[in-house]
Amino acid sequence: MSNYFEDLAKSVIAGQQERVKELTRQALDAGTDPVEIINQGLIAGMNVVGARFKVGQMFVPEVLMSARAMNGGMDLVKPLLVGQELPSAGKVVLGTVKGDLHDIGKNLVGMMLESAGFTVVNLGVDAGPDKFLQAIKEHKPGVIGMSALLTTTMLSMKDTIEVLKEEGLRNKVKVIVGGAPISQDFAEEIGADGFAPDAASATDLCKKLLA
Amino acid sequence: MTRSQYVRANYQVNATPQFHVLSEHQCEDIYYGALEALERTGAEVHSQTALRIFREGGCRVDGNRVRFPARLVERAVRSTPSRVVISDREGHRSMFLEGNNVYYGPGPTNTYTLDPFTGERRRPKKSDTVRAGIVCDALPNIAYAMDNGTPMDVTPTLADVHAFQALVENTVKPIIHWGFGIEQYQDIVDMAAAVTGSLEELQRNPFIILYSESSPPLRHSEEAIDKAIFAAKTDIPVIYTPCTFSGGVAPATMAGSLVISVADFLVGLVAGQLVREGASFIMGGLISTMDMSSSILSYGATELSLLSAGLTDVARYMKIPMFSTGGCTDSKVIDVQMGIEAAFSILIAGLSGANVVHDCNYMEYGATGSLELMVMDDEIIGMVKKILKGIEVDDEHLAVDVIDAVGPGGHFLGEMHTMAHFRDFWAPTLINRLRYDGWKAEGSKTMGQRVREKTQNIINTHEPERLPKDVLHRIQEVVDRAEAREAAKKISK
Repeated sequence: MSNYFEDLAKSVIAGQQERVKELTRQALDAGTDPVEIINQGLIAGMNVVGARFKVGQMFVPEVLMSARAMNGGMDLVKPLLVGQELPSAGKVVLGTVKGDLHDIGKNLVGMMLESAGFTVVNLGVDAGPDKFLQAIKEHKPGVIGMSALLTTTMLSMKDTIEVLKEEGLRNKVKVIVGGAPISQDFAEEIGADGFAPDAASATDLCKKLLA
Repeated sequence: MTRSQYVRANYQVNATPQFHVLSEHQCEDIYYGALEALERTGAEVHSQTALRIFREGGCRVDGNRVRFPARLVERAVRSTPSRVVISDREGHRSMFLEGNNVYYGPGPTNTYTLDPFTGERRRPKKSDTVRAGIVCDALPNIAYAMDNGTPMDVTPTLADVHAFQALVENTVKPIIHWGFGIEQYQDIVDMAAAVTGSLEELQRNPFIILYSESSPPLRHSEEAIDKAIFAAKTDIPVIYTPCTFSGGVAPATMAGSLVISVADFLVGLVAGQLVREGASFIMGGLISTMDMSSSILSYGATELSLLSAGLTDVARYMKIPMFSTGGCTDSKVIDVQMGIEAAFSILIAGLSGANVVHDCNYMEYGATGSLELMVMDDEIIGMVKKILKGIEVDDEHLAVDVIDAVGPGGHFLGEMHTMAHFRDFWAPTLINRLRYDGWKAEGSKTMGQRVREKTQNIINTHEPERLPKDVLHRIQEVVDRAEAREAAKKISK
């Protein structure tokens, strides 16, 4: 049975979605515990991917292929987890702020987070304070992440934080910010909990904030 | 000359080195690829104004998605002037953006500046834009000014307006300038018209080029495309420049990235030509790879040079002036990497014959602007200009008579022919060619130290031509009006 896990992890690392699905089905048919499939197969593979990416042995497109392969397996296992806690590193709501349509960086953060086991709610672009507020009430995330590329739109990050304070939600959620014009200083200035310069460190930051 | 009278047949001259990345057929393929993408996939447009123009102009509009019939795009390409002439602030026609003429200068909107006095990387202030104007004004190989960083000690939504004021008051050189939206564009045009005396004079003899960036793939924000439309309406030349990075917002192949870049430029161009047939458009421009480890858009990648040169070939094929990139680096400090990446990209951009080469100040993948880099680039541009001049071959330059007069074993130092020509050698101003002892006597300075000293010296001593008091006053009035408008907006919010 341990072979399933090893093969699963290898196939996740290689980004072979069809192979991952096939192995997941076989493991389930053989009566393997779904949680074990996730932890010892899918997530185990993804952990290797994360480590290799950090040292420059794997690259962004390969990480995304691996994440896609892992999710192929997850989709098969999830429905069987009724009543059981789905292993998740935490929930993150992401959005590009109001007036800004630049989203490749934010989407990359989302995919990196998912590949690290986070559940991600992606609000898309042009997300103002109201949209974040509504998402917090609906999804109850541990973290919200705001992204901006423009020096004008980055100012609306502060508006969102102010609205959270007014609504009494500021202490219920961690706020992180990122994007080309954003800096650690700016994050502190507007009262955010953290800043990450790139997608990989955003994942580390979320782990740290939710630990 | 002793040679007998002769005529020659089939004699070819390379007046300059020859360099092309793409053949005419390959350019045609890229162009048709872009037409196919526009007709089949189309572009997402987030401006009601632009959507109406496209619909009325004959495009197929479905919600935000606009599909462009090839005939419309081809008509727009044909109606675009193949040359744009830009004057300096005094009205002297100084940049002839046509054929393979090359003009170098810096880039805009960096979110940090590398302070040439303290070495600190910090947020730019308006006083830094003043410095940028002064340094652009002083450097002989920098043809125009851009702002070297968004000033952040002013009203944020008017950083563009303040930056323009700082530039126009501190350099006579042409200015290429960005804006957040069309209100700010109007402010900038009004300031420029205050300098020329009237809008008509500015239109006849523009000393500014407006600059608008779109976000590939095939997506155009309201601000980006409305600015292109504004420029066409106002009859001021505009650069429409998609920011294309291979593997991220464009295919990971270079040809595919060129297709995206051309297609996204054409979306802006069609809007502009529908508003005013014959409006001056310059094709941008920023094209490179996404680094797959750090996910930056690389400004030091060799692909930036290769892709930019390829795009320049396509622009020439389309007979539209080209806005390209060079003199930039991913390095964070004044170091060897900066030198390698800047020199490479300035040379290739020059050889490609792109009309405007920008970003000769961009460090740290564009995040930081550096006047020191611009000063070093000025030297590199001097070297590249020499290479671009090629080798002249005629009787005077073959110098067979002089060779005969000097004879075997002689030297040429005392010849009048040498006197007449040795100044054609490129003479360095920052590159050091002293003998060891001379270099030591001058303080054993590195290139970085010499660059920093020259930059500081320019800022401390260069006096740009001042604008008359009444013009300064009218410019200030425009800035005040803009401030009042933004303040009113804040209150109504």
